[in-house]
Amino acid sequence: MTAARVRTWLLRGWVALVLGFLTLPAVVIALASFSRTSYLTVPPRGLTLRWFAAVLGDAEYVHAIGFSVVLALVATIGSVGAGVAASFALIRRRVAGGAGVAALLNAPLVFPGVVVGVALLQFYAMVHANGTFVGLAVAHMVITVPYVVRAVTASLQGIDPELEDAARVLGASGPIAFFAVTLPLIRPGVAAGALFSFIVSFDNVPVSIFLLGAGQMTLPVKIFSAIEYGVDPSIAAISTMLIVLTGVGLAVAERWIGFHRFV
Amino acid sequence: MRHGHGWWLLAPALLLLFVAFILPVGTMVPMSFRPYVPLVGITGGFTARHYVKLVTDSYYLEIIGRTLGLGLIVTGSTLVIGYPLAFFLARTRSRWRSWLTILVVFPLMLNLVVRTFGWIALLAQNGLVNQALQALGVVDGPVKLLFNFVGVFIGLTHIFLPFMVLVLIGAIQNIPRDVEDAARVLGASWGSAFFRVTLPLSAPGILSGSILVFVLTISALVTPRLLGGPTYQVMSTLIYDEFLQRLNWPAGSAQSLLLTVMVLTLVYLSSRLARRTGTGA
Repeated sequence: MTAARVRTWLLRGWVALVLGFLTLPAVVIALASFSRTSYLTVPPRGLTLRWFAAVLGDAEYVHAIGFSVVLALVATIGSVGAGVAASFALIRRRVAGGAGVAALLNAPLVFPGVVVGVALLQFYAMVHANGTFVGLAVAHMVITVPYVVRAVTASLQGIDPELEDAARVLGASGPIAFFAVTLPLIRPGVAAGALFSFIVSFDNVPVSIFLLGAGQMTLPVKIFSAIEYGVDPSIAAISTMLIVLTGVGLAVAERWIGFHRFV
Repeated sequence: MRHGHGWWLLAPALLLLFVAFILPVGTMVPMSFRPYVPLVGITGGFTARHYVKLVTDSYYLEIIGRTLGLGLIVTGSTLVIGYPLAFFLARTRSRWRSWLTILVVFPLMLNLVVRTFGWIALLAQNGLVNQALQALGVVDGPVKLLFNFVGVFIGLTHIFLPFMVLVLIGAIQNIPRDVEDAARVLGASWGSAFFRVTLPLSAPGILSGSILVFVLTISALVTPRLLGGPTYQVMSTLIYDEFLQRLNWPAGSAQSLLLTVMVLTLVYLSSRLARRTGTGA
């Protein structure tokens, strides 16, 4: 079976090449962030941590990081609350027109991000809500709620509804049955949905960039404008921090809930 | 299973979508028919001029054509590059499988601006790709790989490849191995078993993966902006400039609605097609 072996090795070679292609930009950035040169170069010349110090000593970057974290937390709490309730209604309560509602909840995911961004820019200007934190947080909830609904409905579909009915028969009220029985069972789905929400909000550019008011700046928009202004190694340093955080977060999520099943 | 009560649970999500999605997108429709006078701004009245310009002016037609062309070619490249990888990940019995899959998910979770920035470092005049090309003697001097088709094409292919791979893994996993084995037992060569059995059976995945990547490509803003620069425009970057630089909201609204209609038509057609072929793709 030499032909089969050749095929196997060809396939493995292709797999290695493509996985290399997928990780290449992250590797290159990580390398470039340690270079002593004031311009971006790979392989790095010399070895320094000064670009990391430059980023962490830059008040604008530190503010953007804090702002992005707070925004992503607020958006995640809101979309998990609304999304879990909606998923429960769709799967367990069989509301009339459920398919239409499900499609509507998914719509912000299908629409181009830039369209959602400019639509909200116009609308907020009309109702004088432009540049407000609430407006921005609500916009982020709109684009994160589909991820919560998707993960939680998938989880709910795998849970036997009779478990909850049993709790009801044994005298638990509806909310108690939900919080004591159903919620613990769908915890991986809720966790995955929350994680997606946080990442989608934290990474967003096409919606944020149109809605940021004076004194507001998210990290990805800050990096985006820094790149447009001119490339330097401090951008590589902040990027490297994000690469490490993403890698560690993903590894933890994989061990904890088997994250890849929810993607 | 009880009925009722459901609408109360749906209320927060529906209210959120109504106020911050349906209303804002809805207001773009009247806005797209408002006249715009340079140096004056948006005026009262009604005009279909912005739409007429979009389908007659060669400047806009070129951008629309370029957007759709990129959509097609990026879809094709992610399919060709991604299918063997998806096939491997769907069929391997390696204990590394879930970690290799995580390697596909990792770029997907990594910040989009960061990923795109990586390609700027790679594709710049003195970047790694140009260094490699010169070292290998493929080219004599640095090649322009940024702010043109090449840069945007490579960047978008990289960004959307994980989506294609993950959709294809799901589709290929749904094909029982026995079907391929049966074809082989009945005398089919590996090639004909693959091209006449496996590949056609994964068609629903190919269709939904392709629609997904096409739609994402024509909607993309960050990657075309950073790798294409201000001159190599696609529809998203055109809308971006219209709203933030030229402040011509009516024209921007018309462009946004055209892009949205293109996306929704595709999504609708693909769901019709999936239903007709009896697949749940």
